[in-house]
Amino acid sequence: MLVTKPVADLCALLIDELHGELPSRIFAILLSKGRSTLPQLVQYTSMTPRQLRHGLAVLQQHNLLFYHVDPGAEFAFYEANAEHAYNLVRTGKILEMIDSSFGAPAKDVMQNLLLSGQTRISDLVAAYQEKIEQANKEAAHVEDDDDFGAEKNGVNGDSHPGKKAGPLVKSTAHLNSIICRLVEAELIDVVHAKTFESSQDILKTVEKEVMDKYFPAGVKGNKAKVEVQERIAEGLRKVRGESKSLKRKLEQNGTAAKRRKLFAGAGMSNGSHDEDMDPALDPRQVIRINYEKCLVDLRNRRLVQFATDIFGETSAYVYGVLLKLLTKDIPRCRADAAMDFGEDKEESEKDTVSVTTDQILDNLKTSVDLSLGIGKAERRQVSSVAAEKIELFPPKKKLLIEEAEVEGEASADEDEDNESSDESEYDSDYKAPTANGTNGVNGTNGAKVKFDESAAPKERRLDRPTQLRQHLLMLAESTQRFVRHCGPNEWTVDFVPLMNALREVELDSVIERTCGRQGLRLVRILRAKGKLDEKALPNVALMRKPELQQKMLEMQTAGFVHVQEVPRDLKADVKKSFFLWFCDVDRSLSRLLDTSYTTMTHCIQVLEALRQKERDVLETTKRSDVRGREKDTMRKEYYERYSRFLECERKLFAQVMRVDDLVSVLRDF
Amino acid sequence: MASDGTADDSVKLQILKDALYDEIKQHGSETRLFTQKDLLDLNIIPNNNVLLLVRVVQGLTDDKLLVGTTNHHAGLAWRWRSREEAKKYTSLPNDETVMVYSIIDEAGADGIWNRTIKNKLNMHEAVVKNCIKFLETKGYIASMKNVEHPNKKMYIKATLRPSERATGGPWFTEGELDTAFISELEGIVFEYIKTKSAYRGSHPHAGGGPASSSTSATKLPKKGTVTAATAAPDTTTTTTARGTKRSATELSTDDTSSPAPTRSSHKPRAVFMPMPAGYKHYPTVAEIAKFIHDTGITNNTTLGEADIQQLVDVLTYDGLIESVRVGRRRGYRVTRAMKQDTVPFHKRQKEREAGVGLDQPLVAGAEPLSNGLTEAPCGRCPVFELCEEGGPVSPSNCVYFLKWLDLEDLPAAVAPNVALPT
Repeated sequence: MLVTKPVADLCALLIDELHGELPSRIFAILLSKGRSTLPQLVQYTSMTPRQLRHGLAVLQQHNLLFYHVDPGAEFAFYEANAEHAYNLVRTGKILEMIDSSFGAPAKDVMQNLLLSGQTRISDLVAAYQEKIEQANKEAAHVEDDDDFGAEKNGVNGDSHPGKKAGPLVKSTAHLNSIICRLVEAELIDVVHAKTFESSQDILKTVEKEVMDKYFPAGVKGNKAKVEVQERIAEGLRKVRGESKSLKRKLEQNGTAAKRRKLFAGAGMSNGSHDEDMDPALDPRQVIRINYEKCLVDLRNRRLVQFATDIFGETSAYVYGVLLKLLTKDIPRCRADAAMDFGEDKEESEKDTVSVTTDQILDNLKTSVDLSLGIGKAERRQVSSVAAEKIELFPPKKKLLIEEAEVEGEASADEDEDNESSDESEYDSDYKAPTANGTNGVNGTNGAKVKFDESAAPKERRLDRPTQLRQHLLMLAESTQRFVRHCGPNEWTVDFVPLMNALREVELDSVIERTCGRQGLRLVRILRAKGKLDEKALPNVALMRKPELQQKMLEMQTAGFVHVQEVPRDLKADVKKSFFLWFCDVDRSLSRLLDTSYTTMTHCIQVLEALRQKERDVLETTKRSDVRGREKDTMRKEYYERYSRFLECERKLFAQVMRVDDLVSVLRDF
Repeated sequence: MASDGTADDSVKLQILKDALYDEIKQHGSETRLFTQKDLLDLNIIPNNNVLLLVRVVQGLTDDKLLVGTTNHHAGLAWRWRSREEAKKYTSLPNDETVMVYSIIDEAGADGIWNRTIKNKLNMHEAVVKNCIKFLETKGYIASMKNVEHPNKKMYIKATLRPSERATGGPWFTEGELDTAFISELEGIVFEYIKTKSAYRGSHPHAGGGPASSSTSATKLPKKGTVTAATAAPDTTTTTTARGTKRSATELSTDDTSSPAPTRSSHKPRAVFMPMPAGYKHYPTVAEIAKFIHDTGITNNTTLGEADIQQLVDVLTYDGLIESVRVGRRRGYRVTRAMKQDTVPFHKRQKEREAGVGLDQPLVAGAEPLSNGLTEAPCGRCPVFELCEEGGPVSPSNCVYFLKWLDLEDLPAAVAPNVALPT
């Protein structure tokens, strides 16, 4: 992650927001000055070492800091972990995601983990135990004498609405089971010594180890160089794997799903059943949130939303299920160049993780009606050959969308010569292998559809697998390439080109919103045609010249298009020069990213300004006798100001999260 | 005797001239070039007498009935000119006017710039001006506009229509790009593609649909922002505009779907749905061109397939439609079918005549996607680059944000001159 000034500002503000001013100031200094030792920090910040240690401890606790101790050195070097600092923005989103896919108790655990940073399991358990006991006592209390308890509840009602329903986490065993599940999903991983070292430091140490161990005499020749890189990658992977140790341990006993199957059989309804079966976790382990995996899940949600925008909800729902199945074992969104060296080769074959239609079918909610969201066309209107086309390999390189399409289909032309005349035959030929294939259920279904059709071609109601296939095929046919039909009834997603398409869509929507549809038109023309002379543009865009020039200038200032002046002769007469417009998507995107950071910074600054303005109100709410029952104790006018402030705060934070959606698309996914 | 001989000779010459001229006219159009050999082969000149031919041709050229040109391949050659045209030439008062007229004549349908005339003839500007004025009043030439050089004064023969290159093709009227015509046509083409490439169905909104069962699980956490966006009045001008339009359309048609679905209504709403993969009937350019031709909307301009292709390309670049190849057929389909307006084009047109939704683009399309950046005031802020804490413009004194947050307790005098850019 490239730390530019806007990012640095933003990170400092975020830390200020969540952890207070002291850590924030230290963090800002670390970002601007680079890695520093304690004495250096003393010098930079003019704070006392004692204050600094406090601040550093907080940062350390939340994994916002890297440190490195050279052997024999007196002081450790501290370095800011900007990535994790930025991830603070995503707290809410991650919690929401956990809530929807693991339930409220898991969210509660995750929230505590986020609040307290990396935590020893025993501490977490202890905290929960206390809570649970207190809750139990209270519940008992309520039962004892009703009126008194009710009053107490009423008092606390505003701040702890959950209390009435009892604690979310019911027992330590429940807690244990939740942690196990999160660990298995890789959303939580284990902290180890190397966690606190920056990736460069880890790389250095691994490099050194490799050199000492395998190449004491130095590296000679290309082959050896490749080997060195492979060994380094291996070493790095080993370091990375350490944080998954807990997951591996859990898996030795079989995954949660397996355990459940083994023991319960049909008795899955009983929740307490599972909990007892989860192995107790080592209380000394320190756990933290694994943002990398969280990002994978967030990416899935973004893609589902993208699909909703383009196709509608039903297809997007199908897509969501597909993505969930597909990304179960994908640990991170982007491969690390140094770390995954050599892994590429091995994985290029097995890399194509795919999901079968049956798997998707098994995971669809029964309440979803798949017949919705897709148009009806008569059978003869649809070329099943074109629809069912199988693409074994991912697109080679990023092309312009239109070009890619042409290339992709060029080969399809040839085998489609006989399509029009004897399509039905061709079709049945094609379907035969699926019927014999591994997934018997779907194969027979496919055959049945054919049978039905020949009997009553008009009155046919598609069965569920066919409907599902229709959705998937439609997703595969899209220009954005949501899905690749990589084998009969097998589906995969090529994330890299798809995310590029999504990035382009995001850029386009920004352009359309700021420069209008005509601006978008011009940019897309340039993208399709490359560099274009100013004189040629109006003809293609069907726009008046003065308007066009104005629009182009507007977009140039916004950084969406760029111009190149090519003189016709040595004199470089401006009047005679060519002006070539072009658009550099990467440049625009990086500019957009910086704009986004700044926007987020601005939102937080506006909030800060509002806080200043409403200082008197906010100070009142901090009083212990007011807190929790603002409505009753505050004067009406004050309370209105307070609630309005709260609303603004919500809006601004929501806005920051929305901008973060964009940032994650541009940078992380 | 001698005089008699010449008189006799001139009569003979006149006969030969007429015969040759008529014969030439028989053998080709005004653009065909006749070489000396061609003329001799017409068998008008007795004994292939070259000298006689020279005299006859000279005579015809003097009468402006033949125009001599030099051609790269054939050398000297002639083409014929109609008698009416020749008459125009001969009726001109002086040589300068003839020269000017002939230069304009040669330029043909492309027309010629008056400065070029001057440079070519090397005459004084006043003379050229006079000649042009004379010719214009006579109705022999007319001034024209060239789209490529809109501020050059060009002339063309009055009998000719300016060429495509000069007028810019069907998209131009009187040298100006006819944007109204284009956008109207775009609207029609878009409507055609929309209805042909998407399935018009109804979307049940009762509890059972995926809308309720899946969205709750799949939607991103943007509830708070949605309220933020709608609460802020000026962030999404289009939405508000849509809102007003919707209320109007509901009066006329009951089944109109609104782009922003009203969740409370339980009756099914009409929507467009994407076609299943492999659909073979996405309209092609040829079909669109035929449709446009058949409807006869463009009665005085003929639009070829290339023109329609241009139009369709523009729509593609606008992101309203996309091209799909199914088999060998390249068709076009609407993007984001579910989000399209289901009110037919002609109804919208009527509304527009009634003065409703005039601020809407003619080619409606789907509401553009938006993201956090475009919704925040910063995404469209004119002074974004200057904005910095501690500077003259800073987030803490940002008026746009106050407006966006609905906190307009700022002094009223400040508000008008810093209105949000729309």
